[in-house]
Amino acid sequence: MKVAEIQRFCMHDGPGVRTVIFFKGCPLHCAWCHNPETQSPHPQLLFEAKKCIACRACGECPEGVHVFAHIHTLRREKCVSCGNCTSLCPTGALSLCGKEMTPKELLAAIQRDAPFYQNGGGVTLSGGEPFLQGEAVLELLKLCKKNGISTAVETCGFVSPALLKEAIPLVDLFLWDVKDTDDARHKAYTGVSNKTILENLRLVDSLGGKTRLRCILVSGVNTNDAHYSAIAKLYHSLQNCEGVELLPYHPYGDAKARASGMDDTSHAEWIPGEETLLHGKNALLSQGVSIHG
Amino acid sequence: MEFYSAFGKRPVRLSESTRRFAYDSLHCRYGRETAAVPTVSLDHIENFAELTDLAKYDLAIREICLHAPLRICEGEKISGSATLGEAIRHHVPASFEGKPVFYAVSHLTTDFETVVKRGIAGIRDDVLASLKAHRGTDREPFLQSCLSCLDSFAIWHGRYLEALKEAGYEENCAVLSKVPFGVPTTFREALQSIWFAFAFQRLCGNWPGIGRIDWLLGDFLDRDLAEGRLTLEEARELLAHFFIKGCEWICGGNYGSGDAQHYQNLVIGGRDGEGKDITNHVTYLVLDVIEELGIGDFPTTLRLHKGTPQKLLRRMAEVIRYGGGVLAVYNEELIYQSLLSYGYPKEEVWKFANDGCWEVQIPGKTNFGYDPFDGLQVLQQKTLQTGADFATYDALYSAYLTDLEAAVAGIVEYHCHEMLGKDDRGRWRWGDWTPSTVISLFEGGCIQAGLPYFRGGAVYNIRSPHFGGFADTVNSLYAIRKLVYEEQKCTLPQLLAILEKDWEGEEVLRRYVQSRYAYFGNDNDECDEIAVSLAKDFAAICRGQEGRCGYGTPPGISTFGRQLEWAPHRRATPYGRRAGEVLAGNCSPTPGTDKEGATAVIRSYCKIDLAEMTTGAALDLKLLPSAVKGEDGIFAVTALMQGFTTLGGFFLQLDVADGAILRAAQAHPEAYDTLSVRVSGWNARFVTLDRGWQDMIIAQTEEHS
Repeated sequence: MKVAEIQRFCMHDGPGVRTVIFFKGCPLHCAWCHNPETQSPHPQLLFEAKKCIACRACGECPEGVHVFAHIHTLRREKCVSCGNCTSLCPTGALSLCGKEMTPKELLAAIQRDAPFYQNGGGVTLSGGEPFLQGEAVLELLKLCKKNGISTAVETCGFVSPALLKEAIPLVDLFLWDVKDTDDARHKAYTGVSNKTILENLRLVDSLGGKTRLRCILVSGVNTNDAHYSAIAKLYHSLQNCEGVELLPYHPYGDAKARASGMDDTSHAEWIPGEETLLHGKNALLSQGVSIHG
Repeated sequence: MEFYSAFGKRPVRLSESTRRFAYDSLHCRYGRETAAVPTVSLDHIENFAELTDLAKYDLAIREICLHAPLRICEGEKISGSATLGEAIRHHVPASFEGKPVFYAVSHLTTDFETVVKRGIAGIRDDVLASLKAHRGTDREPFLQSCLSCLDSFAIWHGRYLEALKEAGYEENCAVLSKVPFGVPTTFREALQSIWFAFAFQRLCGNWPGIGRIDWLLGDFLDRDLAEGRLTLEEARELLAHFFIKGCEWICGGNYGSGDAQHYQNLVIGGRDGEGKDITNHVTYLVLDVIEELGIGDFPTTLRLHKGTPQKLLRRMAEVIRYGGGVLAVYNEELIYQSLLSYGYPKEEVWKFANDGCWEVQIPGKTNFGYDPFDGLQVLQQKTLQTGADFATYDALYSAYLTDLEAAVAGIVEYHCHEMLGKDDRGRWRWGDWTPSTVISLFEGGCIQAGLPYFRGGAVYNIRSPHFGGFADTVNSLYAIRKLVYEEQKCTLPQLLAILEKDWEGEEVLRRYVQSRYAYFGNDNDECDEIAVSLAKDFAAICRGQEGRCGYGTPPGISTFGRQLEWAPHRRATPYGRRAGEVLAGNCSPTPGTDKEGATAVIRSYCKIDLAEMTTGAALDLKLLPSAVKGEDGIFAVTALMQGFTTLGGFFLQLDVADGAILRAAQAHPEAYDTLSVRVSGWNARFVTLDRGWQDMIIAQTEEHS
């Protein structure tokens, strides 16, 4: 399985204390992506310029990726993601995002914090899109269940319905991303239609899968009453949805975008203000939606 | 009237007048009054200089009780005050020719069980019985001193009765006329009884802890509630007054390690002698008062075990979130095991409390002290002197253990000199110490044996060697093992030369050791294994010292902020720290080296066999206010406490603090008078700490966040 990162002691990605596994690879390309380094399924060289002391230990790269003028720059197009430079870098400025791990290895990492999973905590598979890992996700989920670890999966929903069906009995909670209820905007900002996503959501719901809808609020893009009403309608149409969680857009993904050599796509105007957030929350509450957090 | 909070507004349950009383007390009203009268004078006593120490002491206590100012705070429901300023400085507050004559006693929790069960009258009976048994022996003078101090206590008590009557505090007067000399029957009487006995010890300069307050008081409150004598609201007001009175030594100003370290600790929850959880109404009222007033002067520790009610755990989490660092957690089961394996009898173990910080002891029976030393200093200045070289890591490590053993033996040697060897019956003979009669009255065993607290009277006599710089030492050893012996990037003499030059010109290597190795606190088994061995070997060294003198020498791990004094004298370390930079506190990771979050820190710490650290090993964790928000935050805090005990932790201090707020308090101290922080084993108002201490706490806060 292709793992971007494992984060321990997370409090805001499902109930209780959780270990979150971020997988690499995502079928969506959201303009506001919070974890841009997880979009590509392939290993990627990350470079955090502020940690670099220009020691040139990485200069021996046979592909000639590392260029030293007055500062250290990268010719990323030449990089084959071999990771050799990352083991030479003394400061940790260079690292490779995308480590191959087996479900068993992941289970061991997850179990490290098992004593803290009391009161409903556990593991959250996230990313990226966990279901892009295919059958291995099921294997990991099975291992977790077998070892008494509560499971949550954060999914964009744009995945194989067959895989989802098999996952339902293994997942205690789906954190289901509903980026936008307006299909035209969904296409424009994420690159795909929301049709499959919503169909999958209904499928999972009809088969008893427990869900929490995670809705990103991007100011000026989807912070409108029509969207809130559509979320409310969707929520009420589901049998097993515990509520809606509103996630305000934040620009923290940009540092990670820069480190992975992607374009800086941050939009300060997308950050929703307190009032916008409160309005969204109240709009949903007034339509009988249970709000988490 | 706001009380500092790191996290939202504190709830309001207490009456306006009680809140006002707390506000005034926290803002130094009574502390400044106390500081203004430092001592009573002994100058008028004829031939004072020629008297024996014991006679001087008895006269000092007598003069204090006769002449200490009396204080009745407006509207107080609990009476009695320790009103002499030198007591705040750990002296018996009586001076001869301008100087205090005696030091007082601290680092213990005295026996309040006898106070509420038998009253001071019961203690007096014991003295008389012992006097009868020891008449004509060398123990008689001490027992006469006991009687003299009890008489002085009665004089002070009588002065309060009169003053309260005169001031129209009839209810207070009625309660105080029964206790503490008689046995209390109601909650208010029991609370007043404990307070007055506590205040008397403090009046005479001592700094005792109180211990298991809910266990001492729970039955009294239950009875009052059942018989309709008192409501919970009234009980909360009374308890709040007890807490507020406990702030009477807060003077403000800036002095070293802060203004709140008078070791007046409380312990709540846990089990009784039959194994039953003792949580009761008082337990929750203690948390209510701390939650509302944010008073940090009674650092309070929960004895957490499997049967601790979920409701209590949740209340702990709720209160911890407001910050102030007032609450901490003991892993009761592990401490039981620890005390039993050290050799304490089973019937004593369940009573454990602490010395006022967190070093575990049997309350009311222990003469306790600990001896701090810096393990990193031993490593740097003994084992790794210039030119040192070892063929293998194991050779280096065993050389370090030899040096460590010598350091511990040196500490114990010092205490051997306090002894005069053994008498003809093989018992230890104790050298002369400062008189300690007042404390001896509240320490089981002293009266019966006819011996003072400091001369073998206590049931248990402990001088615990405390390993400081633990994480710094572990990290140094780990970096050397990796760099020199495994990766062979340089030789040991080369590395030592680099460290001597403070990493100058070696930035690449310095960054390498900093970013490439995962140190203690990151749940890296390879490094933590060194911590595990080091603690085990240290414990074995301490065991080897047992029996050399009359003191027991169980081990512990602490720094209590001493890392601040040590840091400027420690050269660069192999894990990338430059000379003079910040060092690790207690058994916590070196600031800046833990990168995997709170659960990884707890796991690293818990890999150590902490049951071997008999007097304790504290882990300090600081969380950001944003991390404890909402229901998720309550889950997080309870999960940390539960995981900590499941994994075999010893003592956890959880504080919620924000570096930005602490910086603001440095800049505008006037606006943050009541901001309390956990320093180490104690709390202090942040603005009363010296700049160096403040910076250290900010560094810890920011590194952990």
